[in-house]
Amino acid sequence: MLKMILIGAVAVPTIAAGSVAATGVVVVDVREARNGQHIVVPVPLALAQVAAAFVPEEKMHMRLPREAQQYMPVAKQVLAALAEAEDGELVRVEEPNEKVSIRKEGDLLKIQVDDNGEHVKVQVPISLALSVLPESGSQLSPSQAVWALQHARLTEIVNVQGRDGEQVTLTVY
Amino acid sequence: MNVKTLGLAGVAALMLAAPVRSAAPAGKAWVHVRVEEANRQSKVSVNLPVTVVEAALQAAPEDILSHGHIHLGKMGKRDLSVSDLRKAWNEMKATGDAEFVTVENADEDETVRVARAGNVMLVHVDKPSGKESVRVEIPIEVVDALFSGQGEELNLRAGFAELQKRRGDIVRVKDNDSTVRIWIDEGN
Repeated sequence: MLKMILIGAVAVPTIAAGSVAATGVVVVDVREARNGQHIVVPVPLALAQVAAAFVPEEKMHMRLPREAQQYMPVAKQVLAALAEAEDGELVRVEEPNEKVSIRKEGDLLKIQVDDNGEHVKVQVPISLALSVLPESGSQLSPSQAVWALQHARLTEIVNVQGRDGEQVTLTVY
Repeated sequence: MNVKTLGLAGVAALMLAAPVRSAAPAGKAWVHVRVEEANRQSKVSVNLPVTVVEAALQAAPEDILSHGHIHLGKMGKRDLSVSDLRKAWNEMKATGDAEFVTVENADEDETVRVARAGNVMLVHVDKPSGKESVRVEIPIEVVDALFSGQGEELNLRAGFAELQKRRGDIVRVKDNDSTVRIWIDEGN
């Protein structure tokens, strides 16, 4: 009996950890400069998916404005063409105390904004953006978006550094 | 000249213009736009693979582009239509090298020149001070492709297909404190 309990005690966490590792984890990391607080929130993607399943259907979809719907096929075509294109800097804006850069590196679109001491870095896999945008119709599914984060494994999606030294990162493992 | 206006004019001109430096395969070509404003210490740089621009044109919504054609209808108070422009263009094209329009506007203190030189239509706007100028070079093939639509339609896709073959400057605009440059090359 004790043997069975021991096997169960080892197997259950192992299977759980394996499943989480297989499906991915989003880690939100917040470091506060003033009081030195460091908060780390790991959210397994599978758990987020399960949670999304309990949200009522009508609240699960974000309705896109008519103008956005119209340009959805264009956005998909442009992203697909961008995925095939060579790497390079697509946009650079330089003004006093402000810089914006959008680069394509492999499957990643890297957006960097430096604004008066505030720094924002966003990395979006093109494959993720393509899988989130609806093929047709007017609705975006948040649960689909959560699941699409699997395209971004081992990617720091967002990194924000405030003027006061506060730092927030969102990484998918 | 307002820089936003210049930028918009430049992007519009991109659809209508291209240089004749050389014809090259379109595979790895990039479209570049640079806008610099000295007084605001501002620089904007946009670089797009031509394949991306082409994809946007291919997928543009039906009410903007119908099968690669843009419907303009009658333009302006004097009812200058695309078909009128097409006829005028065919006449001008048959004329060969010539200066079609020269306007010396004393009130605005500027000169406007529209001419054909070899394989290129030139549109030059200059202020005598030399501080402001617009240079647009439009290859004959691009305009031909644009006018390959029927009736009141411009064939934007055909125009862009021709444009992809070009390398070099397309538009240069300079005024007191800003410059706009649009060109196509193989680099990113």
